[in-house]
Amino acid sequence: MSSQKFFDRLKVQLLFSGPTLFAFFTVVILPFLYGIYLTFTNWDGVSTSHSFVGMKNYLAVLDDAAFWTSLYKTMKYVLLTVILINVVGFFLAYMLTTEIRAKNLFRAGFFTPNLIGGIILGFLWQFIFSNVLVYIGEHFKIGIFSSSWLADPDKAFWTLVIVTTWQYSGYMMVIYIAGLMNIPKELLEAASIDGANAFVRLRKIILPLMVPSFIVCVFLSLQRGFMVYDLNVALTNGGPYKSTQLVSMYVYQKAFLSQKYGAGQAEAFVLFLIVAIVTLIQVYVSKKREVEA
Amino acid sequence: MRKLKMMSAAVLSLSLLLSGCGNSTKEGQSSDGKKTASSEVKITLLNSKGEIQAQLEEAAKEFSKENPGTTLEVIPAAAGQSPFEKVSSMYAAGNAPTISMVDPGDVKKFADKALDLSNEKWVKDAIDGSLDDAKTEDGKILAFPFAVEGYGLIYNKAVLDKAVGGNFDPASIKTRKDLAELIKKIQKTGVASNLQSPMDWSLGAHYLTIGYSVQSNKFEEVEAFLTNLKEGKEDLTKNEKLNGLLDTFDLLKENNVNKKDPMSGTYEQGPELLGKGKVGLWFMGNWAWPQIKGFDTTNGNYGFLPVPISDNPDDYGNSQISVGVTKRLIIDKEQNSPEQQAAAKKFLEWLVYNEKGQDFLVNKANIIPAFKNITLEPQDPLAKSIKAYMNNNKTLRSMVTLPPDHWSQVGAFMQQYLDNKIDRKQLLKQIEGYWKSQQ
Repeated sequence: MSSQKFFDRLKVQLLFSGPTLFAFFTVVILPFLYGIYLTFTNWDGVSTSHSFVGMKNYLAVLDDAAFWTSLYKTMKYVLLTVILINVVGFFLAYMLTTEIRAKNLFRAGFFTPNLIGGIILGFLWQFIFSNVLVYIGEHFKIGIFSSSWLADPDKAFWTLVIVTTWQYSGYMMVIYIAGLMNIPKELLEAASIDGANAFVRLRKIILPLMVPSFIVCVFLSLQRGFMVYDLNVALTNGGPYKSTQLVSMYVYQKAFLSQKYGAGQAEAFVLFLIVAIVTLIQVYVSKKREVEA
Repeated sequence: MRKLKMMSAAVLSLSLLLSGCGNSTKEGQSSDGKKTASSEVKITLLNSKGEIQAQLEEAAKEFSKENPGTTLEVIPAAAGQSPFEKVSSMYAAGNAPTISMVDPGDVKKFADKALDLSNEKWVKDAIDGSLDDAKTEDGKILAFPFAVEGYGLIYNKAVLDKAVGGNFDPASIKTRKDLAELIKKIQKTGVASNLQSPMDWSLGAHYLTIGYSVQSNKFEEVEAFLTNLKEGKEDLTKNEKLNGLLDTFDLLKENNVNKKDPMSGTYEQGPELLGKGKVGLWFMGNWAWPQIKGFDTTNGNYGFLPVPISDNPDDYGNSQISVGVTKRLIIDKEQNSPEQQAAAKKFLEWLVYNEKGQDFLVNKANIIPAFKNITLEPQDPLAKSIKAYMNNNKTLRSMVTLPPDHWSQVGAFMQQYLDNKIDRKQLLKQIEGYWKSQQ
């Protein structure tokens, strides 16, 4: 009887979750497992045959200095963008929840960059950095703008950081605004009656209560930072001379340009592990700091 | 009970969907040309040169008209898709095109699927060296040379005429010294002498590879040089020819119009500066003509100069420019019937020997053909210049069969060198390192 019931329930569950499960299994789980399998082969990405090479690709990852350099650059990029995106996003949200005019217009305005795709955005800013700013720099004799930022390895790296911050801080702003609006007014009122000034209110009440928003935003910006590809391709294309080639782009080129699919896939898997570890640690650590109002 | 019905319906529709997929592939396999034995022969051509799709369709119609019973269909490869990717997926689907237009480096990968073309009539009319990289180790010719392209220092004749005070003769530049003097003369007229564009493909795939091809005028010796590089047996710092080429690069770098900020240049800058006569020389290839034409101020007076590698006028490379086959046609022998293969051979012959075929190649599609018997003059000045070098046998082999990421990796090293971030020794060590990692 109970087994009959179990099958009945299984049927119902399969009816509803079956199609989704099927789709998830075929487009996520299978390619993932197949991808891991390919890391043990010497497939070149296009040929019809490949042979098994064991751990060779993973050993090659350890030896591939260029991979670790691009990973280091990506770490630096992630650290900078996570800080900047969230600081700017929170600042915007804080300003736009105070009593200022045309609030909704500003909110919409800051959110807009997020609606533009990374490729278009990259080309837009490429034009700004290599033409508009250079024109302004030469015209008004501003030394820092007089040559294209995209032609200098250090400045080209900063263009990536700047554009990413510009693109995502509006998105994080929306999440922070939602968080700020949920802070009970009576707490803030009580605090101000007790004589707490704006800074103390921010530090002792608003920030602790905003931890859930921070968790979400930091997680999102972390994960986007590690996975960035489209902006990298469109804005700097890894240049000048591969100095701004972030890790996703490096892995892609390894697999498809150098036609070392197995090795590229192994690097992608290492990247996956690193991203998974970093984000899990982040979520775990920040969950502990959550407080109840 | 009702739940069960719904369930089974869902399962049924799913399985139908799956079996549907299965069936269609099977049908595709059985309906390919092999089985349909009739007088009508239908052949297909995969075109990976998007810009000539319309002209090629036109030519296909012309060919079908002249050969009743044969129809040729032209399939375009999507823009940005590598021809190799497209062709291999068509093989996997069981309907390989009869003729595929592929990149030269891909030919060997299709060695077991491509028809042997060694006995074709056009083989003896092909220009020297145009079949070298299409040969298997036992000497079989697997591919037809479809288009030739070349590169070197493009000059604007109006600027150079003014600089030398008279009619500039490209044959007068035979050594690095000659080039240095020419650069000084141009600068005296108040015009920047040359532009060195910083694109990785231009530096890595075109400029530096001259250094490989000048190693020897024999195909096998250049291949041996590359094999040695891979095995780490070549000391590039002691390689006179490569160093000579880089000395010339230093000269071009020193007088580069972008010298202050060499990495800021773009491809688009080149045609404008050269066409408007703001620089005299630009290192690029004949594909730049459509863009140069847009800025042309000299009534189409352009041509190529070789990139000299030494001060000895007789050295190989000082009077030659790099010319190579950049697209090849292969005929499939696995999935197409003998009738189809014969028709495909006929089409290749038609391109080389039929008046309309030649007209299509040279006049309609603006292609420089790789055949000595085609005497039609190309339309644009850069193609004319290349043709002239070819007629005089003054060509270097273009290195078109290097590893697929050579242009990108070595291009990046060359960019660093151009930007003075590394010195000559570091550059050569990095190139050696790249080759060693190719084993």
